[in-house]
Amino acid sequence: MKKIIALVLALVMVFALCACGGSSAKSGKVLNIYAWNEEFKGFFEKYYKVPDGVTVNWVITPSDNGAYQQKLDEALMNQSKAKADEKVDMFLAEADYILKYVNSDATQDITKIGVTDFSNTYAYTVQAASDPNGVVKGVSFQCCPSALIYRRSIAQDVLGVSEPDEVQAKLDSWDKFEAVAADAKAKGYYMTASFAETFRVFSNNCSSPWVDSGNNLQFDPQINAWIEQTDKFISNGYTLTAGIWDQEKNDQMFKSGKTMCFFGPAWYFNFCMGNAQDPDNGCSGDWAICEGPAAHFWGGTWLLAPTGTDNAELVADIMNTFINNEEVCTALVANEAQFSNNQAVNAKFASDPNYGSAFLGGQNDVAVFSEMTDNIVWKNHTIYDQLLNEGLQNALQDYFKGNVDKEKALQNFYNYVNETYPTIVIP
Amino acid sequence: MKRKKLKESGVSYAKWGYIFILPFFIAYTLFTLIPQLMTLYNSFFENYRDGLMQIGPNFVGLKNFVTLFSPDNTGSIGMLKYMGNTIILWVLGAVPQVLVALLLAVLFTSYRLRLKAQPFFKTVIYMPNLIMASAFSMLFFTLFSPVGPVNQVLVSSGIAEKTIDFLSIKVSVRALIALMNFLMWFGNTTILLMAGIQGIDQCLFEAAEIDGANSLQVFFRVTLPLLAPILVYTVITAMIGGLQMFDVPQVLTNAKGTPDRTSMTMVMYLNNYLQTSKNYGMAGAVSVVLFIVSAGLSLFVYNTLSKPYKEETKKRNRI
Repeated sequence: MKKIIALVLALVMVFALCACGGSSAKSGKVLNIYAWNEEFKGFFEKYYKVPDGVTVNWVITPSDNGAYQQKLDEALMNQSKAKADEKVDMFLAEADYILKYVNSDATQDITKIGVTDFSNTYAYTVQAASDPNGVVKGVSFQCCPSALIYRRSIAQDVLGVSEPDEVQAKLDSWDKFEAVAADAKAKGYYMTASFAETFRVFSNNCSSPWVDSGNNLQFDPQINAWIEQTDKFISNGYTLTAGIWDQEKNDQMFKSGKTMCFFGPAWYFNFCMGNAQDPDNGCSGDWAICEGPAAHFWGGTWLLAPTGTDNAELVADIMNTFINNEEVCTALVANEAQFSNNQAVNAKFASDPNYGSAFLGGQNDVAVFSEMTDNIVWKNHTIYDQLLNEGLQNALQDYFKGNVDKEKALQNFYNYVNETYPTIVIP
Repeated sequence: MKRKKLKESGVSYAKWGYIFILPFFIAYTLFTLIPQLMTLYNSFFENYRDGLMQIGPNFVGLKNFVTLFSPDNTGSIGMLKYMGNTIILWVLGAVPQVLVALLLAVLFTSYRLRLKAQPFFKTVIYMPNLIMASAFSMLFFTLFSPVGPVNQVLVSSGIAEKTIDFLSIKVSVRALIALMNFLMWFGNTTILLMAGIQGIDQCLFEAAEIDGANSLQVFFRVTLPLLAPILVYTVITAMIGGLQMFDVPQVLTNAKGTPDRTSMTMVMYLNNYLQTSKNYGMAGAVSVVLFIVSAGLSLFVYNTLSKPYKEETKKRNRI
C-alpha cells in the first residue's frame, strides 16, 4: 500500500513539473484585463479575434463594497514594479468611479496609442473618460440612457393604455408618477419593486456633486427628494423594501409579479431581467420602455488604458473595435440587446421599420434610447460616487424598513463615510 | 562533591531542549510578536488612502484612540457599541455551546451508558466545523432570505401571515449568528471536554458511586472540579475566538451588520477601515483595543473559573 501511495505521489510531482515546464516554455504575450463582471468578457470572446500567441487573462472581482476598486488599485499602484506579463493592460470602470482613474496618472492618453476617432461615439461617454485638461483616457463600448421599463399588461389594467407614447404621457413627471402609484396600489399592484429603484433617476439629475470643493459631504436636493418620495412610497405600500439587486425584487419580473415599473438601460434586459425572459415563468413580450419622469443614465462600462501596459497597440485595437467597427457594433445591438456607442449603427436600427425587440413586444428600443441620449449630461461626479451611493442606500434601508429613525440612519451613513473615505468631512 | 564534579565535566542535554523549542519561538516572533508590535506602532500614525493617493504615515500620537472613543452626533460611541455587540453575540452562542458540549461529553464518556455507534455521533457533531464559515453563513442567508425556503414554509403552512424579513430584525439576526456559531463549535468543544473527562481516573467515579453519590452529585462533585483546567482552557479559547468573530456575521449581513449595525462585531469594524481607505492607523487602534479587551477578559475568566480548582490544589498540597 505504502509503495502505491509513494508511486502516486511521485507521479503527481513529475506531472506537476511537466506542467510548469509546459507553461513557461510558451513565451506568448499576456493581456491582463481587469473587470467586475463577465458581461464584457462575453462580448469580447464572441466578437474580438485575439491575435495568435496572445493569451487573455481576465481578473474578475465583484464590485460590491468596493472590492473591485481595491483589487484594481493594488494592481495599478504596483504597475511600475510588475513584470511585463503581469501588468494591467486594460481595465473596465463604471461611471460611478471612473473619475478616480481618469484624473490620475495611472491611465494614459489613448489618442497617443491610436484611438483617435470619436466621431461616432456619444459626447458624454468621451467627456466621462477625459481628465480636466481634456485628455481622453478611455472609451465606453455602450451608451446607457436609462428608461422606464414597464409591464404592458399591468399598465393596461392601471392606466387603461399600454403603448409607450400613451404611458409616457401619464408618467412624465414625479407628480404623475406618484398619482399613478396610488392607482396601482388600489388595483393590487406595486409601482416599483425596490426602495432604491428610482434612486438613479434622482441622483443623475443632481445639481451638485457629493462633496464640495472643501471636501464637505453634501446632500443635493434631488437626493433629499428621493428620500422623501421613497418614504412616502414605502409607508403607502407603493413599493417593496427589497434592495436593488435582491432576489425578492427580481422575482417580481416573473409573469406572476405584481410590479409595474423598473428602471434601466439597454444592458438591463439581458443582465438583470433573466426572470422576465424565463421561457416558462417569464413574460417576454409583455414589456415596453419610455423615458419616464426624468431623463437619466445608469452605469456604462468604460475600457481604460493604464499607464505602463506592454500591449498598447492591442488595447487600442480593442477600443477601436468596440466603438468604430460597424460589424461588431451592429452585432452588439442585434444579438445582445445592447445600445452601442456608435451613433451611425444605432441610427441604422432606429430608422429600420423591421427592427423591433421581441422582448419589448416589438418596440424599437434603439429608437427610444437614441432620442434619450440628447438629454444625458455628464456633470457633478466625484471619485467617491459608487460607495457613497451604495452606502446611503444601505444605511437608509434600515430606516425604510422601520428599524431606526432617519437621524440614526443618516448617522450610520456618516460613520460609514468616515470609515471608507477619511478625507470627507461629515456634517 | 560528586554532584558538582559531574556538572563541570558532564554533558548538559538542556541545549537540545532549547533547540527543539526554538522553531516555535522563531515562528512566534516572526508571525505574531512582530506584527503585534507593528500594529501598536501603526496605531499612532495617520496612514490611509484617498482614491489612488497615499496620505501619511504621519505621527499623530493618541489621536486615533481619541477618535475611536469620541461620540458621534447621536451620542453613541461606535467602538463601545461594536464591543457590546461582539460580547452579546459571543455569549448567546458560547453559553449553550459549553452547556451542550458538557452534557454530550458526560454522556459519551459514561461507562454506565456505553452508547453505541459513538464514532458516528462524534463525526456528525463535528461535521459543521468542517464547513467553511462563509459557506455556512451563505447557506443561512439563503435559507432565511425573504424569498428563501424558511419563509416559504412558514407562509404556506399558515404559521406566518406574510414573509418575515429575518435579516433585518435585530433579534433574529443575532439569534442566527449565535446559532451558527453554536452549531459550528459545539462538536469541537465536546471532543475537548471528552478528552478532559477521560483523563480523570475512573476509580474516582466508581468510588463516588460506592459511597452512594447519585449521577448529579458525581457530576458536580467529581467531574466538574477535576475538569476545571480543561473547562477554563475551552472557555478562554472560545472567548478569544468569539471576540474575533468576523466571518459569520460579515457574510450573513453582507458586511453591513444590519440592522442599524447591531450585528457589527469589532473585527468587522476593523475591516471597514481596512477596505477602501486602507486606514492602518484607525485599524491599528481598533486592534490594540481589541487586544487589551481580550487580555483583560481572559485574565478575568481565568481567575474566576480556576479559583476553586486552585484552592483545591493548595489544600491538597497542604495535606
